[in-house]
Amino acid sequence: MHRRSVFDQVFAVETAIALAVFVIVLGLLVFAVVRRRARAGLFVSRRREWKPVELCYAGALAAVAAGLVIYTALANREQGRENDRPVDLRVEVSAFQWCWEFAHPDPAGGPEDEPVTARATCRGDDLPTLVVPTGRNIRLELDSRDVIHSFWVPELRYKLDAFPGHRNEFTVRFDREGRWIGHCAEFCGHRHHTMDFWVRAVSPEEYDAWLLDAQTGQDIPAETA
Amino acid sequence: MTLTAPGRDRDRGRAPGGRPPSRYPSGRRLLLSTDHKRIGLLVLGTSLALLFLLGVLALLMRAQLARPESGFLDSAVYNQFFTIHGSGMIYLVMTPFAIGLGVYLVPLQVGAPNIALPRTTLLGYWLYATGAVIMLAGFATPHGAHAAGWFSYPPLADGRYSPGPGSDMWVAGVFLSTAGVILMGWAVLWTALRKRAEGMTMLRMPLFSWSMVATCLMVIGAFPALLAALVLLGIGRADPSVFDSNLWIIGYQHLFWFYGHPVVYVMFFPYLAAVGEVLATFARRPFFGFRLTVLSLLVFAGLSMSVWGHHMFTTGQATNDYYSLTSIALLVPAGIEYFAMLGTILGGALVFRPPMLFALAFIPQFLIGGLTGIMVGTPVIDYQAHDSYFVVAHLHYVLFAGSAFGLFAAFYFWFPKVTGAMLDDRLSHVHFWLLVAGTNLTFLPMFFLGLQGMSRRIVSYAEFDGFGTLNLLASIGAGLLAVAMLVFVYNVWTSLRWPRPAGDDPWQGQTLEWATSSPPPRLNYTPEHPLPPITSYAPLYDLRRTEDGRAH
Amino acid sequence: MLTRHPALLVVAGWTLFNGLLFALLAGYGEGAVAMWLWAGSLALLAGATAAVLWSVRRGPEQHRRYRLVTGGAAAVLPAAAGAGLLGLATVYGWWMAALAVPVLALAALLALAGT
Repeated sequence: MHRRSVFDQVFAVETAIALAVFVIVLGLLVFAVVRRRARAGLFVSRRREWKPVELCYAGALAAVAAGLVIYTALANREQGRENDRPVDLRVEVSAFQWCWEFAHPDPAGGPEDEPVTARATCRGDDLPTLVVPTGRNIRLELDSRDVIHSFWVPELRYKLDAFPGHRNEFTVRFDREGRWIGHCAEFCGHRHHTMDFWVRAVSPEEYDAWLLDAQTGQDIPAETA
Repeated sequence: MTLTAPGRDRDRGRAPGGRPPSRYPSGRRLLLSTDHKRIGLLVLGTSLALLFLLGVLALLMRAQLARPESGFLDSAVYNQFFTIHGSGMIYLVMTPFAIGLGVYLVPLQVGAPNIALPRTTLLGYWLYATGAVIMLAGFATPHGAHAAGWFSYPPLADGRYSPGPGSDMWVAGVFLSTAGVILMGWAVLWTALRKRAEGMTMLRMPLFSWSMVATCLMVIGAFPALLAALVLLGIGRADPSVFDSNLWIIGYQHLFWFYGHPVVYVMFFPYLAAVGEVLATFARRPFFGFRLTVLSLLVFAGLSMSVWGHHMFTTGQATNDYYSLTSIALLVPAGIEYFAMLGTILGGALVFRPPMLFALAFIPQFLIGGLTGIMVGTPVIDYQAHDSYFVVAHLHYVLFAGSAFGLFAAFYFWFPKVTGAMLDDRLSHVHFWLLVAGTNLTFLPMFFLGLQGMSRRIVSYAEFDGFGTLNLLASIGAGLLAVAMLVFVYNVWTSLRWPRPAGDDPWQGQTLEWATSSPPPRLNYTPEHPLPPITSYAPLYDLRRTEDGRAH
Repeated sequence: MLTRHPALLVVAGWTLFNGLLFALLAGYGEGAVAMWLWAGSLALLAGATAAVLWSVRRGPEQHRRYRLVTGGAAAVLPAAAGAGLLGLATVYGWWMAALAVPVLALAALLALAGT
């Protein structure tokens, strides 16, 4: 998945830099603790500043910061490109205290047609499932019916908040089939910790069949853990 | 220095030169004193006591999270606990303690006999204390204490979704205590800017006092935004239709985080600078890179006013690029300060007394927090890490593994000055090592839990999530932390009960406060303990060198 | 003026630095609430700068003689208690504000008597 691969790269780069910095600082600290222990004959610096070295160092830091800013801005832009892809299908994600509903409106249908909606109770194992086809650009439209929630699928490496009175949207494409857990990631009260859901990516044919079944009145089977 | 003190001086008739540590001022004198040292002690003592109380809440939370699907605490109680733990630690402990250090130390460090605006400072303390009582009293109400998190977002925190007086008391309590902190911050700032002794130019102010200037500028610039956010929340609690409009839902987040980011630097700079003072003292040399560090503190503080939106990356309603730019830019002043700290010890002769242990541990520990801070300041990473245990780990590394270790460095360093008694070295070492072990065992696993997909603010997690082992490790670490803190309390109690006199300057300090008695006399510098000549930011170091005529 | 008074330089400089960052944010097109908020903060900082300016004109930054405040601290406790009662009035109703009034009046009296 695109967002995930961008995350993986940026995370790897920043972790590598962070580890390098940490090792250097820790090394200098250990050196100081071992070799600069107070003892007779140890020369103690009285130097209060060393302008050229300090300024060079500050300059180097500024260059690193500039590089990181540019790199991360580009990565952000790259990750956001997925939002510009032409939309193949829309799903309306409704968050509420304390579960989710996923409505799949039929693009060919009229305004009276009930969209296929996946519902559950979020109690025990009864979690709702967001079924999506692989290889398609899916526009997820996030809404809340009460307080702020957040739609988080760790496998995607992405989350976006669901606000009451403000629609947040993003486009995502799943490259492979599978089933992954999702969580509400904005504290929303008493049963926030149970507000989980499944995302299930299936082949487009399987998705169409599922949609048809649902439209003709078959119950959407509940997912178990 | 001459002093004119018109009118009544309550302490006239006391012997000059301070008092032995076993005699403490009686009730009215302590509670109504205009002596900045007593006011400072009130602030420091209150916030330390609350540190323990709120730490107990954390222990209970860690007990709940040690195993999956544990029923030790139910959701309602757990949510109150994490809310009050976070709220208390930030509003009532780490921030006031930092300001309290300034109240106590800045007048001494700049050579003044008292803080500017002492009655305002005292009022600040009492507002803080009143606010603390009101916030915590929420536990005694039928609905319990506030349970919407320390940032208390509406609509969840409004009157519809968080009914009950406990939440109203949270709003009132935070408002009052923050107002108190603002008053104290202004007084500290005014002291450093306008009440320095003769010869103390701005650039001869010690590092700690400079850090208080930067800190208090942020207090003045950013803390009023919290007052505004709380007023908005209060209105929304009375009339929840205010939050039918998304403008005020996202508006609250802007108001809140405009305060919410600078506050974390208010909870960092004084402790960082205390570490700096300790490193220089126990490296037997003046702090290296002083002037560039002062500049970087001011730049750091200024930048910190512009980064707040990085807490809002996932709202989809903030200009993420800007906040990411300014957040990453923070690494420049931070890096300069690290360079200065490392430069100080690499050229020094290190003596490993207890304050120095905490100061040295601060360096790598805070760094972990700071580096992961740059990571979550990157939107691409934050979209995954936000509201997960990765952030919980990051914030506890900066605030506990970092600032709290700086707090203990400051405590061990200045305790002899404040009380006239020495702490026990062996117990101090035990405290230190237990704290290092406990801190890292508790918070390091949380980075991995976050990356594995554990949300924050959840009372329990499922068996199949696979979070059990790391959570158990974290909970064991928390137990170690508790033991460490018990050792600390025992050390403080026995050191005060059976004091060993510290003398004026047990550490060969470099700044003015070490030239006066321990504890300092009422007016800080007297004919018996006069101000030494102020020649630089390390005047006592300079004095020792000229007296010795050679390196000591 | 600024070079002769470093304290003023620090506060004014910091305010200006904030202003610069504010202007940069405007360039990114952040929303109105955030902009007004930071503008409010800049106003407070400008006020602080003005206070320092007023003060440096009246007296030196470094002192050999200090005038010390004594007395008047008795007003602090009722002032804080009154503020607390006002805070509780938002929780339990405006009858508590009625309680706060005499307490705050006492604080005012004590403050005036102490000066």
